[in-house]
Amino acid sequence: MNSVAPPLSSVVVFHEVSKWYGNVIGVNKLSLRIPPGVTGLLGPNGAGKSTLLQLATGQLRPSQGTVSVLDQRVWANPGLNRFIGLCPEQDAFYEWMSGWDFIFTCASLAGMKRPQAREAAAKAIESVGMTRHMNRAIGGYSKGMRQRTKMAQALVHDPQVVFLDEPLTGTDPVARRDLMEIIQRMGAAGKSVVVSSHVLHEVESLTPNVVLLNHGRLVAEGNVREIRDLIDKHPHRIVLVCREYRKLAAKLVAWDDVEGIEILPQRNGILVETRAPEVFYSRLPAISNEAETEIQEVYSDDDSLEAVFKYLVSR
Amino acid sequence: MRSLWALYKLSIRQQMHGKRWLVMCLLFLLPAGLAMLVRSNANGARPLEIEFVFAFMFIPQGLLPLAALVYAPGMIQDEQEEQTITYLLIRPISKAALYIVKLLATLTVVIFLTCVFTGVMYTVIYYNFADPDVPHPAVRCLQAAAINSLGVTAYCCLFGLMSLLTRRTLIVGVIYAAFFEGLLANLPLSVRLITVIYYTRIIAYRTMSFVVLRSWGESNIAADAWQLDIARDPKLLEHPQVGTCILVLTLASLVLAVLGAVICAKREFHVKTPEK
Repeated sequence: MNSVAPPLSSVVVFHEVSKWYGNVIGVNKLSLRIPPGVTGLLGPNGAGKSTLLQLATGQLRPSQGTVSVLDQRVWANPGLNRFIGLCPEQDAFYEWMSGWDFIFTCASLAGMKRPQAREAAAKAIESVGMTRHMNRAIGGYSKGMRQRTKMAQALVHDPQVVFLDEPLTGTDPVARRDLMEIIQRMGAAGKSVVVSSHVLHEVESLTPNVVLLNHGRLVAEGNVREIRDLIDKHPHRIVLVCREYRKLAAKLVAWDDVEGIEILPQRNGILVETRAPEVFYSRLPAISNEAETEIQEVYSDDDSLEAVFKYLVSR
Repeated sequence: MRSLWALYKLSIRQQMHGKRWLVMCLLFLLPAGLAMLVRSNANGARPLEIEFVFAFMFIPQGLLPLAALVYAPGMIQDEQEEQTITYLLIRPISKAALYIVKLLATLTVVIFLTCVFTGVMYTVIYYNFADPDVPHPAVRCLQAAAINSLGVTAYCCLFGLMSLLTRRTLIVGVIYAAFFEGLLANLPLSVRLITVIYYTRIIAYRTMSFVVLRSWGESNIAADAWQLDIARDPKLLEHPQVGTCILVLTLASLVLAVLGAVICAKREFHVKTPEK
């Protein structure tokens, strides 16, 4: 069951969306456009990630605003589910079914004819590496197997857009690696994938395009670097490792673009704060070539999502 | 349609799976077991009397509401509790259709139980035990199964709707079954017009004979048990006709089913996630 739509600039659009449960606000006036490709949805527990995914898959109705996927309104539009796949967060199955039975049933529920459903189920199970275990009852699966099975049911009807809600939670490193490969393959196959997680490095290794949520609000979105560049008030923090770190610090403190220097004796280096990282980086080779201040290592904390997120969330 | 058919099959499998199915089969076997006991021990008990007690008292007043309470509220609630409802909501199936198909699957299962075990019970009662008042027990079996099926359909539609309005469906359902169907239905008052069992009893009374010949004359065991004043109103002119009863039960079931579908269509189904 191939479902192809013309290319879109945004596959998922949230327009002024709010969702509240009684007095509790799940999502607060959020406007967001998710482009094609793999996008990470990041935020701590309670940030509103699952709420956002449930809004995007039509399970929840927005209290305000509109949600559309592939240019169609989501709520009360079950036909749209032919083009959407969801790997839900909860670890729940019809435990008495075998993996094959479950995926085949999901394919049938998607409206496929029997032979088509059989073929799609076999393909989906193969794509997640569960062919060997497909005839066992799901109740006997490990956590990693269960996650793969969940992923398979999200893919069995060949959707255009796939939402993955905390797909790597509770998995062992091997399963995590395999699941991440599956997600990357989905993106490479042309599917738009939205992956939610509160584990920063997982999202970072899947995609540079991220959306950051906190307390139901959009904190930032875009490329990690772009997000970092937006934070003008917060200078970039760059660590320089050098044997003569105190002499290096003395030289750098005179630079106009250096806002502050912190000595890090435990790292044999210094932490430099600068608002003009590109300029700073361009001048480093020269100073490194000078006697006594040869720089062994340069790295920036800020390019990691963790640093970006901690700063943004704490604002 | 294929999605709906797949959902129907899935729901039937869910209902006929596990301990609940086993327990329900054993419960439905109870009338047959008790009938066998009565037959073997009670001297002078007529088959028609045994049939009446079990097929038209025990089953409709006890088993059918119980079966409906066990299955109907769980149609949606069980999926929510087990967090599997998400897999249904993300398929191209509207919530209204989801409700109706699950209801149809539930009705299939409970009607199956009703018909099969009614047949078993009649076999136990009438096998090698002819009753001159009952020339065609097989026909009576079919009639009883059909009447009870109509009754359990109404119960399932009612409790299915109830499950969308309250989480305490079991308690409310038991109170309803005990008070309305058990108590009020047995009183010769107008209030019994709002009970399911009243209409099934009228259908049974008008379409089947419950007259037994005793030493002092004929006795209508149904009229006596169901508080039908046939002495004053021998043709039950004050009571609805068979067609009306069937229409009332069918329409009521349809209305309750449609209401349930409408409520389900507008409902959001929150699934608890670990972070919650």
